[in-house]
Amino acid sequence: MVIPTLLGISLLIFGVTQLFDPIERASLYIRDPRQIRFVEEIIKKYGLDQPFYVQYFGWLSQVLQGNLGWSQSLHMPVLEALITRFPATAELVLYSAPLTIVLGIFLGKISAVKKDTVIDHVTRVMAIVGWSLPAFWLGIILMAVFYGGFGIFPPGRLSPWAEAMIRSGKFKAYTGLYTIDAILNLNGDVFIDALSHLVLPVITLTTINVALIMRVMRSSMLEQLGKTYIIAARARGLDSKTVIDKHATKNALIPVVTISGLLTAGMLSGMVITETVFEFKGVGYFAAHAATQLDIPAVLGFALFAGLIFVIANLIVDILYAYIDPRIRLR
Amino acid sequence: MVKENVSGISKAVALVIVAIVIAAAGISFGVYMATTTQQVTTTVTVTPTTTITSPTKPPIKNPDTIIEATIGEPETLDPAWAYDTASGEVIFNIYETLIFFDREKLDQFIPLIAKEVPSVENGLIKDNGLTIIFPIRDGIKTHDGGMITPEDVEYSFERAMIQERDGGPVWMLLEPLLGVETLVDLGNLSDPDDAARIGEMIDKAVEIEGGNVVFHLEKPFPTTTFFQILSQTWSSIIDKECAIKHGAWPGNKDNWANVFAKYHNPEVPELQEADCGSGPFMLEKWEHGKEVSLVRFNDYWRGPAKVERAIIKKVDEWSTRKLMFLQGDADIVYVPRQYIKELEGAEGIRYVTNLPQIAIDALFFTFEVDPNSPYIGSGKLDGKGIPPDFFSDVNVRKAFAYAFDWKTYIEQAWMGEAEQIPGPVPKGLPFYNPDQPKYEFDLAKSEEYFKKAWNGEVWEKGFYIEILYNVGNIPRKIAAEILKENIESLNPKFKIYIRGVEWPTYLRAMVRGQLPIFIIGWLADYPDPHNFVHPFMHSSGAFAAWQKYSNPHVDELIEKGITETDSAKRREIYYELQAIYYEDVPSVVLQQPLGRHYERDWVQGWYYNPIYPGIYFYALSKGYE
Repeated sequence: MVIPTLLGISLLIFGVTQLFDPIERASLYIRDPRQIRFVEEIIKKYGLDQPFYVQYFGWLSQVLQGNLGWSQSLHMPVLEALITRFPATAELVLYSAPLTIVLGIFLGKISAVKKDTVIDHVTRVMAIVGWSLPAFWLGIILMAVFYGGFGIFPPGRLSPWAEAMIRSGKFKAYTGLYTIDAILNLNGDVFIDALSHLVLPVITLTTINVALIMRVMRSSMLEQLGKTYIIAARARGLDSKTVIDKHATKNALIPVVTISGLLTAGMLSGMVITETVFEFKGVGYFAAHAATQLDIPAVLGFALFAGLIFVIANLIVDILYAYIDPRIRLR
Repeated sequence: MVKENVSGISKAVALVIVAIVIAAAGISFGVYMATTTQQVTTTVTVTPTTTITSPTKPPIKNPDTIIEATIGEPETLDPAWAYDTASGEVIFNIYETLIFFDREKLDQFIPLIAKEVPSVENGLIKDNGLTIIFPIRDGIKTHDGGMITPEDVEYSFERAMIQERDGGPVWMLLEPLLGVETLVDLGNLSDPDDAARIGEMIDKAVEIEGGNVVFHLEKPFPTTTFFQILSQTWSSIIDKECAIKHGAWPGNKDNWANVFAKYHNPEVPELQEADCGSGPFMLEKWEHGKEVSLVRFNDYWRGPAKVERAIIKKVDEWSTRKLMFLQGDADIVYVPRQYIKELEGAEGIRYVTNLPQIAIDALFFTFEVDPNSPYIGSGKLDGKGIPPDFFSDVNVRKAFAYAFDWKTYIEQAWMGEAEQIPGPVPKGLPFYNPDQPKYEFDLAKSEEYFKKAWNGEVWEKGFYIEILYNVGNIPRKIAAEILKENIESLNPKFKIYIRGVEWPTYLRAMVRGQLPIFIIGWLADYPDPHNFVHPFMHSSGAFAAWQKYSNPHVDELIEKGITETDSAKRREIYYELQAIYYEDVPSVVLQQPLGRHYERDWVQGWYYNPIYPGIYFYALSKGYE
């Protein structure tokens, strides 16, 4: 499934870009009015006037050789851009995805168990408010309060002194995820610094995404709590904690796993606004930057990358299904 | 039972909240402790956020590092390729040129890699300016461990001319040295005979004579203008061995067709991310889309820079940039004009205003629009469109010029920080004529010229046109709106539609000659009027060619102006060109902007030279006066 999916994505995106005139696609290379007169030469140089299939198969043959092309908007090879930017995104996801999922499940569960009570209403309203908040606005407000007001939780991934430390050769970058690398290097200062830079973007992402998990969990939990096996379990005298935790929750988790997988995959393929506001520049920021400049090799490269992430996420979700629901395993 | 369970959940919620608060407080405290501890005890170079304190002023953050937060990102670090200011800013801090601007001055120079600035008096300018000799300074170390020699200087210029990418800066070297704007004008680079002849011309243009490098100019060229070109990034001196290591032209001159095939107009320049310079800073790291980090070159021949590092951070979001600046995490910041009020009264910052920029925006009339243009309505003078040659009538152009309200435009679009200038020669450049009349907002005169235009048909039948601007460019949008409002107020039959489009669409329409009016800007390559009158007025100029504006007398004057070495005669030429511009009105200059510079008050040593591509970090230090 992986190869047809990726081929389909690339064909679709390539096809859409061909709707643009060669001059429009050449605009990527024209940053200054004095370069405009070279537009014809630029079109020829990059083969922008070639037929669709010539351009597509030219690109595909390069991809098959492991070359995703040169990104004019990023000024570097596309593959290198993905490799160097992914750790920033991955580090954000490493903290925000588990927090979002755990908090979402917890709030969904409490909301379902306390259906139509004040706790239920408050939890739902808070979740909806969080979901409705624009990431841009929330990010700026959080930063204005904590960074602007108290001077804590600065933007970026590291402070200048920590960046210099990393470049000094005294610090080995194993993963590109600074908190993990700091632990592996046994460097507490860098760890604290990296963590302090993560606080606000993680809060922003969690606030915005938790409602999705919470709502799915709540409705799934309510469905389970109304089922006959739960009534039967209660009739047999099982205590509520056991009924909720051991019976209902596990079954209610199945749709949550699907949503969590997609949410995590979506986050891994980039969170443009959060990455921009907090100067946490990962793959999302670069994909958006490339797309606005009609940087076709970069857009295609990122599309393949995102496609791959989603395919892998689906695979993981399938495996988790089997773990949660033995019937799937048996089938 | 359920109640008990929920009570447990509530406790868990409370515990989680407490844990989060403790964790956040712990992190804050940790940060605080890390900061204060380092302040007192740390002595390693890569450490503290605060080491200098002042009883009255706040402590200086990152005292050994200058951090600039801005919006641009370099396209390349190859000096022969770079033509944008973001690239130029990095390059002019890591490379050096033969000569350089003497601080703020645009027409006075100091020697850098050259021992002396050539002049007729010191005998280094000969043959009426056609031979210019640069004695090369000894003992300049490069970042790659080599020494700068005359061979490196010769190589740098020859390599630049060989590379000559489409739309790059090398035309500025080709014009005085080979007498053309592009090598293709000299012949077919893939033809062995042509290639050999062109290669020989390049070889002879810059030669080594002992410890000197000699430039042989193809035609007379104003010396100051030539020096201005030599003082900028495209004339950077490259360590030849280092460049070859990165795959650049190895210096062979035996098979020119092969040389051009391999090294002319490459897809990616060889020195894209390389540092083969000898300047005061070395490239430490370029993290694309994030920052460029430069580290002090301790063997720099003029002595090491005062700060250890200079970091140019790309921070797109203004709110983030502003907070970084106010917190002292950025020392210098780019402030978009619409946000200048947000920093008024802020403590710990300093800003300088009214910095004249050598740049202008103008509104250009297309003399012969593509008849298939979707922006000219019916394509006829019938009240529902305009004929393709609508603007070929000077009365129409004058009517539009008189309908533009500069005062409102400068106040609304530039917050009052711009000037109206009469023609394409910006104020501050030599041969700018301060007495040249300029158009004033005068609707009565506009009406008078509309009535004359096209033998009165314009006034009688009316017209419809569309004015495009690239979205995001607020001043251009405002300029179009002002024009629309004023012109439509003259006659109900006059209709202007304003359309915002993305840059690719704007470019396509412009290249295809579909825009009856286009608004675009020009930033100086070098501070000489030729760099402005050519694009604005010469029939082959960057803008005039799109407009299809052609005046043979103007072309002749422009060509004469750049080959004339006598200042008095040049003055006459450029004054005449400015007068013709006023009469011909091929375009209307909207404004020459006045810039601002924002820095923390602990930054010392900054000065303004409008032709610099960015901050020259060698001049800067951090500390309170």
